Amino acid sequence: MCTSTVCNTKKQNLFNPPRRPHPPHLIPSSTSKPLRLGPGLRHLPPSDIIPTVAGQLITNPQKNSMWVEYNNNRYLPTPGDLILAQITRSGPDLYYCSLSPHTPLATLPHLSFESATKKTRPQLSPGSLVYARVVLANKHMDPEIECVSSSTGKSDGLGELKGGMVFDVSLQFARRLLMSKSREEGKVEVLELLGEEGLAFEIAVGRNGRVWVGGEDLKAVVVVGRALRGADEGGLGVEGQRKLVRGLVRGMK
Amino acid sequence: MPREAEPSLNERQFVLQALQDSIRLDGRELDQYRPLELTFGDQYGVADVTLGKTRVLAKASAELTVPYADRPLDGIFNIATELSPMTSPAFEVNRPTETEVLISRLLEKTVRRSGALDTESLCLVAGQKCWSIRVDVHVLSHDGNLIDAACFAVVAALRHFRKPDTSMEGGVLTVYTPAEREPVPLSWLHSPFCVTWSFFGEEGDIALLDATWMEEQVRSGSCTISLNKHGEICQIAKLGGVPVEAVSLLQCTNVALIKAKDMSSKLDKWLAEDAKRRDKGGLLAELSAENDRVPDI
Amino acid sequence: MPLDTSTYGLALLRVDGRRWNELRRIYAQIRTQAAADGSSYLEMGHTKVMCVVTGPSEPGPRRGAGISSAGGAGGGGGGAGGQSKDAEVVVNIVIAGFSSVDRKRRGRSDKRTLEMQSTLANTLAATLHTHLFPHSQITISLHVLSQDGSLLAALINAATLACVDAGIPMTDYVTACTAGSTSTYAANDEGADPLLDLNHQEEQELPGLTVATLGESDRVVALVCESRVQISRLEGMLAVGVDGCKQVREILDQVIKAQGQKMILEGTVDKGTGLNDMDLD
Repeated sequence: MCTSTVCNTKKQNLFNPPRRPHPPHLIPSSTSKPLRLGPGLRHLPPSDIIPTVAGQLITNPQKNSMWVEYNNNRYLPTPGDLILAQITRSGPDLYYCSLSPHTPLATLPHLSFESATKKTRPQLSPGSLVYARVVLANKHMDPEIECVSSSTGKSDGLGELKGGMVFDVSLQFARRLLMSKSREEGKVEVLELLGEEGLAFEIAVGRNGRVWVGGEDLKAVVVVGRALRGADEGGLGVEGQRKLVRGLVRGMK
Repeated sequence: MPREAEPSLNERQFVLQALQDSIRLDGRELDQYRPLELTFGDQYGVADVTLGKTRVLAKASAELTVPYADRPLDGIFNIATELSPMTSPAFEVNRPTETEVLISRLLEKTVRRSGALDTESLCLVAGQKCWSIRVDVHVLSHDGNLIDAACFAVVAALRHFRKPDTSMEGGVLTVYTPAEREPVPLSWLHSPFCVTWSFFGEEGDIALLDATWMEEQVRSGSCTISLNKHGEICQIAKLGGVPVEAVSLLQCTNVALIKAKDMSSKLDKWLAEDAKRRDKGGLLAELSAENDRVPDI
Repeated sequence: MPLDTSTYGLALLRVDGRRWNELRRIYAQIRTQAAADGSSYLEMGHTKVMCVVTGPSEPGPRRGAGISSAGGAGGGGGGAGGQSKDAEVVVNIVIAGFSSVDRKRRGRSDKRTLEMQSTLANTLAATLHTHLFPHSQITISLHVLSQDGSLLAALINAATLACVDAGIPMTDYVTACTAGSTSTYAANDEGADPLLDLNHQEEQELPGLTVATLGESDRVVALVCESRVQISRLEGMLAVGVDGCKQVREILDQVIKAQGQKMILEGTVDKGTGLNDMDLD
């Protein structure tokens, strides 16, 4: 992959085998900021940095940070992630939600909703979906999620999702969709293209590889889902995505 | 035990609503199959079938054994089904789930009980020696409609299979290695194929073919019909589920016949292609003189 | 032992002297076991089965990976066993060793029995109002005392009777019977007659199917065909089978009503207002 100048990150054309120290010339050297290590890297004192997963090493000299971009199949909750959770059952004062079949059930307190009190809290039945944020995730405890921002008390779009359909995508694709500049950095244009074609839909992307798509028109929802999965499974570039979307929209009419 | 993730209420509702308008999630027609692919292995009798994201591998093998005491003139024919945890976290090794039992029963009824394989031809010496043919079915990936894919794989594997040639001379049974004599195909009588209908809704009025795993989880009933291209029903299994009008079941059977004929011609085509591919090597080997030389004794 | 079907063409009588559309004698009883929630005994010719229903009750300890069990027809989301929204129907079939001629022992994991259990569970789950009993289990135990063909049909009928006796709300009777065709699959003769209610001998020799319908409608709950048959024969066999199911329904209905009358006469139940139209002579 070429060096991307837009976002000042350098993508090393290097398949990174785990457990081997990085050659020092790849490590960004800035004296003003401390070096920040992202996911997939581990610092072994005194001076070795080793990757813990196989993937593509990405460095950002401006922020003096580096991380490994990789695609795995198992979602590990990390605080701050937006995820799509499914209620499994309700406890005395919290809901148990499943993030994926293999992760332990996450807890969602009954009061973690916008302006929820004991009396006004939403009643969610098993099987309903919520869009939520991971608050707490560590090795030794079940993850905790919330549907309200604890600082502002606002929901910020989180909460129960009504209607619509869920499509499973790979974790990396979900991450690319969630990037602030998904078009430039993530190389995904599917959603913008679909919008340009005049399809009306709502979307909630969960970092756990689940995407919720809502809308009045069932056909549009199906087309959005097929476009997302097609772009993900085919590993399509921007041009391929354009072609796919055009084909799907034409087939719909 | 990890459980298979159940679809959420939203998903259930959406799939059913979309089906009311005859929309399927992958954009297929209600009676349209996903692309069916078949690859034969290098050995005889290995068939790898993919149907969309469902993938099933079947391998046929033969060994010499003693026939059962109560059927001295028949060979032995078995189908073993394996659903491993590789397919889905809900399956465990050595503990057959209901799905597994039903699949192996259906395959048995479709292929074995319908007399697709002539078991009498497997007998070599009455009451003493016979071939035991065994087909192992491994499900490698599960995205719905396992039965149809598995049945296709079993039939393909058995039709592709060659067992070692044998001869009887003066009460001495000789089994030839492939180098000595070309292995011979099984005596195959007819090729049955399974076609599974899924029914949706309280009344069971929506029927579709080749359901994906998501559709299977939401459906309210199913009916598997096995037929061969001659229009013979080998087996019908609608094991409970939503009640369906008798007339629509008859219609389903007629559509199933078309699909079975379609599968039958596809399989014939693939078998012919594979035979051609193998024959080329065989012809070249025959033309080279090296094998013909008999060493002096 | 080949069955001599050649005489059928002459006299139009089957081996046991029935005509093509005749059922065998059906004798049934309900409330045979005093201790059970619901029970029944049913004879279809020489096929004799007993049924005991327990529940709806709290689910017992989980066995296996849910083999022989079926959640309600449209089981909603939810967790394991007792967590589900619908009652679970669990069926156990015990085939007595003395029930057939060859006295073969069938293990608990016999695939044919497992398949019948699953069929029964799914068939009944479609008609029982399982959604009224969340987190519970309905256990149906069936004992086969004697086998002479149409086993699955007899089991379904007995289970229906026992469920009525247990007072589990259900949409309608699920009744079943078998149908066959007079000549084997090899003969492609168009004049083959359909037959109703096969006995063991006919079941061995002729193509046949088991059909279960819901109430008086033509709607088929279960359809099991295990033999090779021309597709053109299916329509006739299905029609005869569905018609037979209606006859069976009448018979079962009479059994239930007779038991009701008996209970009123014995004074076990008060004669309610809704029962005025029943003639108690």
